[in-house]
Amino acid sequence: MKILAIGLTAFVLVAVVAPHSRAAAPARVSAHGFALTSLTVELPFDETQYPDGPGADVINANCTACHSASMALTQPALTRDQWSAIVSKMADTYKAPIDRHDMPAIVAYLTAMSARLPGAKGPAPRTSNEATTG
Amino acid sequence: MDPLNLALASGSTRRRFLERAVVGGVAFAASPVVAQSLVDLHLPGDPSQRSMTSAFPGKGSMILQRTRPPLLETPMAVFDKDVFTPNDQFFVRWHWADIPTSIDVAAFRLAIHGAVNRSLSLSLAELLSLPRVEMAAINQCSGNSRGFFQPRIPGAQWGHGAMGNARWLGVRLRDVLDLAGVKPGAVAVRFNGLDQPVVPDAPDFEKSLDIDHARDGEVMIAFGMNDQQLPLLNGFPIRLIVPGWYSTYWVKMLSDIEVLTAPDDHFWMAKAYKVPATPGADVVPGGKDFPTVPISKMVPRSWVTNLPEGGQVAFGPAIAVGGIAMGGDTGVKQVEVSVDGGQTWHPTALGPDHGKYSFRRWDAHVALAQRGPIPVMSRCASSAGVIQPMRPIWNPGGFMRGNVETTNIVVG
Repeated sequence: MKILAIGLTAFVLVAVVAPHSRAAAPARVSAHGFALTSLTVELPFDETQYPDGPGADVINANCTACHSASMALTQPALTRDQWSAIVSKMADTYKAPIDRHDMPAIVAYLTAMSARLPGAKGPAPRTSNEATTG
Repeated sequence: MDPLNLALASGSTRRRFLERAVVGGVAFAASPVVAQSLVDLHLPGDPSQRSMTSAFPGKGSMILQRTRPPLLETPMAVFDKDVFTPNDQFFVRWHWADIPTSIDVAAFRLAIHGAVNRSLSLSLAELLSLPRVEMAAINQCSGNSRGFFQPRIPGAQWGHGAMGNARWLGVRLRDVLDLAGVKPGAVAVRFNGLDQPVVPDAPDFEKSLDIDHARDGEVMIAFGMNDQQLPLLNGFPIRLIVPGWYSTYWVKMLSDIEVLTAPDDHFWMAKAYKVPATPGADVVPGGKDFPTVPISKMVPRSWVTNLPEGGQVAFGPAIAVGGIAMGGDTGVKQVEVSVDGGQTWHPTALGPDHGKYSFRRWDAHVALAQRGPIPVMSRCASSAGVIQPMRPIWNPGGFMRGNVETTNIVVG
């Protein structure tokens, strides 16, 4: 708390002496010629929604809390079974708060999205969907 | 340029970078991600295009794979400029969207607990006071190049840019563990960072290493990256460095180290990031009945970086071909190139050796017989004698790609 007290004192002095100056410099820790400086950032927000189509409102309501739409929109053409396994994994493994009644509509939306991809062929070879991450 | 002038020049570059980092690095205004331009990753199927973005704090122009949680890929051209990847173009990968956006270096603590004689709560000042080590090491996502797997595999559709190489400055994990005193019976060490799942009961991202690996004297806790503090999105203020192993173990914003007396049975070790226990982690597409093991050491890889995919090159007696290579968990012995589909291979000259865990530059001039489409390939042999295979592997996670890659150019 000593550091905090010093920081407050410094702030008060700055406020009195130079009310329009910028806030105190961020905290800094250093030793043996290397310094670390406190960091505050803001991450950009994502306005991208799933494009219009049957079920778009459902997928936008269920699937944007944890990740951007781009996660799904960048996927290659996947089969209904693959999308179904992925949506189930999101709910069961990653605890996504998806309304169970909405799952068929979400899978249908994603399957239709895959079918619209240029060059989308027939069913791809079945692939297991274990924890795919990285 | 003589060594002194070179040192002065790089010092002045560093100062300029520092000034920019201070001016631009303290606070960023939140803004929407706006596509600046599109880039084609040349994946085997759509969607292959991605937006470029400079909207992320501490980051320059990056390939946008996902805004939240961020997945940012390094453009291949960056790797042609230097074997060390600039911090502001180093790839970014987070699992959960709850990422602290403010780190107070005076308040930050690293906890060490579990099977130790003394539980510790180390300040950054204490970490900075421990004996220092610096090491060049490649940080590569387990799923780097997943977008090139065929049949395609769900997951982050990375091109080849989910990797980077940096000079990491920090302390030995062993020294920190010895401060706490590891008790007899310890078998593993689990690492956790400040990032959190955004939903209740979801598995927090944690990884672990066997105790002998954790104490091998190479695994580091880094606070420096190419002479700077880490960008927040690369794990500020400290991250784990596991040389030769995939990035999944390089826990960012490292805040908690737990010494375990039983193998880690939590989700991210027991269920995720598992690969087939087969040679090269390779199975028949669609195969399911095979034993799996946690992903671990990297494999040799190499890329042509001076020629873009689909590039037009003027015909001449020889073309310059250059790029980068890595040995995986060991150094690079040699790199060869081919311009005839892998029928004949030509030697290359290796650049400076920055250590066995670093990228190694290679360059060659290769004779051309005719005009037309030319597949340019590079093939790395590690110092352990492992040579990149021509045939791609396949596994259900899309991990550990390591085959010879091809850059197609047109000579006219």
